[in-house]
Amino acid sequence: MRGLKAVFEGLGDLILFAAETVAWVFRPPWRTELLLQQMAAIGVGSTFIVAVTGLFAGMVLALQGNYAMRQFGAEGYVGGFVAISLVRELGPVFTGLMVTGRSGSAITTELGTMRVSEQIDAMETMAVNAVHYLVVPRVLAATLMMPVLAVVFSGMGYLGGYLIANYVSLIPPGPFIEHTRTMLDVHDVFHGLLKALVFGSVVSLISTRQGYSASGGARGVGEATTVAVVMSSVAILVLDYVITFLAIG
Amino acid sequence: MATIVVRDLWKSFGEKEVLRGIELSVEKGRTFVVLGASGSGKTVLLKHVIGLLKPDRGSVEVEGQEMSSLEGLALTEARQLFGMVFQGAALFDSMTVFDNVAFPLRERKRRMPFDELRGRVVESLRVVDLGEDVLDLWPAQLSGGMKKRVALARALVADPKVVLYDEPTTGLDPITTDSVDQMINQAKERRGVTSMVISHDIASAFRVADRLAVLYDGRIAAQGTPEEVRRSDDPYVRRFLALWFEKQ
Repeated sequence: MRGLKAVFEGLGDLILFAAETVAWVFRPPWRTELLLQQMAAIGVGSTFIVAVTGLFAGMVLALQGNYAMRQFGAEGYVGGFVAISLVRELGPVFTGLMVTGRSGSAITTELGTMRVSEQIDAMETMAVNAVHYLVVPRVLAATLMMPVLAVVFSGMGYLGGYLIANYVSLIPPGPFIEHTRTMLDVHDVFHGLLKALVFGSVVSLISTRQGYSASGGARGVGEATTVAVVMSSVAILVLDYVITFLAIG
Repeated sequence: MATIVVRDLWKSFGEKEVLRGIELSVEKGRTFVVLGASGSGKTVLLKHVIGLLKPDRGSVEVEGQEMSSLEGLALTEARQLFGMVFQGAALFDSMTVFDNVAFPLRERKRRMPFDELRGRVVESLRVVDLGEDVLDLWPAQLSGGMKKRVALARALVADPKVVLYDEPTTGLDPITTDSVDQMINQAKERRGVTSMVISHDIASAFRVADRLAVLYDGRIAAQGTPEEVRRSDDPYVRRFLALWFEKQ
């Protein structure tokens, strides 16, 4: 019962923090330079790892798809299977988890260290709102860059799937691409991008919130980082189900 | 004329009463030191003055503004009155010395030309006896005393009316402590700022204070000029000061 109460309290705190962050998004001054810095750190900095994981995820999907569909003589549908799986599901979810591990943890550690070494207090005493200066650029950058990274993941995954299907499973390129065209439509792309957008905002809000409220020195920062990664990962999987359920029932 | 007026200030955290009816006032252009042992409520008092904490009862007025009732943007604007030097300096470790000192100016005067900005930063560093050679250093490359100096330069750069010092000499060697004391006095003399210092360093407190108060168990045990406090007959104050005077 106490655990459940803590979960709801944590959720309430996060919603209030999100509301405060959103309110500051629309207030000048506009910190374009900070936003670009964060977009580079979260987006550009994660591109390589997202591309590599995407490539291998697509390669595995092609192997598994071929294994399953060969039993029905439907190997040609592997292209569509790979594309839909990547665009609707694996792209946003895996990208969300990779960004959580790479950037979410870094955000919590950085803000947590700033909190326990009084740098955030110092900023507040200099008449600078720390949510505006530190949180808003990170949340905006993650929200904007997550869909881009999901596209990179899916693109690289499709390339990996194509290579495996073509050169290992010996599926001709024609049916692979043709079934992708017939099975994948623009709604699937929007579905995946919406998920990535939601995951980007939720992961960054959880990570910044945990860092912003860290206490208790280095140990407190470590605990806050662990909580941020666990909460973000669980939130991605829960929200993935909710969005999918709402979209297709 | 008083710049800071604290009236009947009470604050508890859970069951623990940290401040119990604090009354004090700090005159314009003077240095007021709050002395006390660890856990006496000094930092909590300072955080009320700058509006980082809200009181349970009582009020804090700075330059006629009621800090305890301000929220949001109004509080942010009121903080432009202040500069604050933190115990650990609290320099932004992702910025160079130049960017640290320039930070308050960049935030308040966003269209200031770079040459003027640089001039103000250099001038502020000069007040604390630092040269242009430190501009490109990172906080991790500075000694403890230099960090405190840069922190004061950052606190002074935007011409605050009030500078707050949180344990400015804690953990410093006697020579650096002496130079930090001189720096506090120079900031008062050269810039005419009103200062509030919280400390448990008795020697340092008597060097910089125009007036001082001794905080004990959330109450002010003695308040007045350094000489008046030294002659206080409050048992705690006598015990607190005894060791240092014996050494003298």
